[in-house]
Amino acid sequence: MIEAIPTQFIIIFVGLLAIMAFVGLNAVVLVYLERKVAGFIHRRPGPYEVGPPCFPHGILQPLADGLKLVGKQIFTPRGADSFLFWLAPMISIAPAIVCFIAIPFGPYLQVINTNVGLILILAFTGINVLALCLAGWASQNKYGLIGAARDISQGVAYEIPLLLVVLSVVFMTGTFNLFDIADGQGAWPWQWYIVYQPLAFILFFICALAETNRNPFDLPEAESELTAGFHTEYSGMAFACFFLAEYAYMVVAACIIAILFLGGFQGPVAPGIWWFLAKVYVLLLIMIWIRWTFPRVRFDQLLNICWKWLIPLAVLNLLITLAVIAL
Amino acid sequence: MENLEYERLAWAVLFGHIVIIVVGGFMTVLSQSLVRALVGLIMTLFGVAGLFFLMAAPFIALMQILIYVGAVSVLIFFAIMLTSAWPGGDESGKCSGRKYIYAGVAGLVPAVILATAAIRSAPPSFLVPEETEISVLGKFFLEDFILPFELISLLLTVAMAGAVVLAFEMRRKK
Repeated sequence: MIEAIPTQFIIIFVGLLAIMAFVGLNAVVLVYLERKVAGFIHRRPGPYEVGPPCFPHGILQPLADGLKLVGKQIFTPRGADSFLFWLAPMISIAPAIVCFIAIPFGPYLQVINTNVGLILILAFTGINVLALCLAGWASQNKYGLIGAARDISQGVAYEIPLLLVVLSVVFMTGTFNLFDIADGQGAWPWQWYIVYQPLAFILFFICALAETNRNPFDLPEAESELTAGFHTEYSGMAFACFFLAEYAYMVVAACIIAILFLGGFQGPVAPGIWWFLAKVYVLLLIMIWIRWTFPRVRFDQLLNICWKWLIPLAVLNLLITLAVIAL
Repeated sequence: MENLEYERLAWAVLFGHIVIIVVGGFMTVLSQSLVRALVGLIMTLFGVAGLFFLMAAPFIALMQILIYVGAVSVLIFFAIMLTSAWPGGDESGKCSGRKYIYAGVAGLVPAVILATAAIRSAPPSFLVPEETEISVLGKFFLEDFILPFELISLLLTVAMAGAVVLAFEMRRKK
């Protein structure tokens, strides 16, 4: 028998457990935040009634939502491919959790410090497109199928400028290691890469919104035209898996933006973890703010933005970066 | 003694991956629905990525996932959606036993050739393989093997141009 379990294995196991807890807890926080911000922007109070008087402002609302989702019946629609139908939510949520193992939350808080961290995250976030396609296809529903088709063309198109923008930052730093990228920036805002790469920051933010299917690019699940797009037929926890995955990918996107452009865990005075979480949640708040401010784009507009603006600008940005590095 | 236990563990992990790859392969070949076949293919690709991880080549493994699972299989999915090939199509009928034999031979011949080549000329394996740095890998491609590397990109360009030409001809016929 092997007497000692390797330390690396224990670290990854504990890390994955902690990440799952974080993903769940974070979804609870973001649901509440999203509904409250929506209420504020619509000039209404948002969720207000749930919970006894000692919990004001409906702060127990996400808990009630969660209990409702857990308690709901889940069933397979008639004519659906049940194997693929139940596989899709799992494929959606599992890679989202893997993405977090390479993210440095603080100078000492990272599950594995790997040299291919950025590629790991890009590789595993790409799987989500596949999960959404399978979901749309397997549910044997026209809305689901249209949602899946839209998701593919959107995901494939926006991955190109995303990778080009990431490349320009990687060429600057010369590493795919997320810890080293964050570590290479200083504590103060003028030492962050957003100062050197402002265009890249904007491009990356737009692409991240599109890749996480957030408004104004949430065409795969456009509720006014496709009822709910790819997850029309899902109920209960199966729907909750997609929901959790979407919020998890939002957090991953915010983490990557914070690390690549905003100094990651770097910051004056306070310890790194607080700076990192503050940056991530400010970025998430901006994403929610955008969702409730801008209308959804049309599909031809969506693809035109990508192919006619984002990709040429990303290539230009990459070329300029290369020219500056070569000089 | 402990090393031996670790070696057994490594064998177990290796055969786990091989089982995933083979099961995925059979699922690809045998399933009636094209989308299920695609899922089998993806399973195989994941298994291969796992083997790369096992050989301490995480960069190659992640590229495998990024390109094959994230991009190529999604494009295959798109192609399946365009063909509208439902499980009840004309190719779903039972095929003769002879076809199974042909398919088996076609699968086994390359497998046997590759396996004998691998077993005969395999370098001695390391207990703990070393990880190659990405920069070393880049130099390897762009200095020693630049010609094949560029030829592959040429091939891709030709394929892309061919696809565009085909698409235009299809449109003209309409």
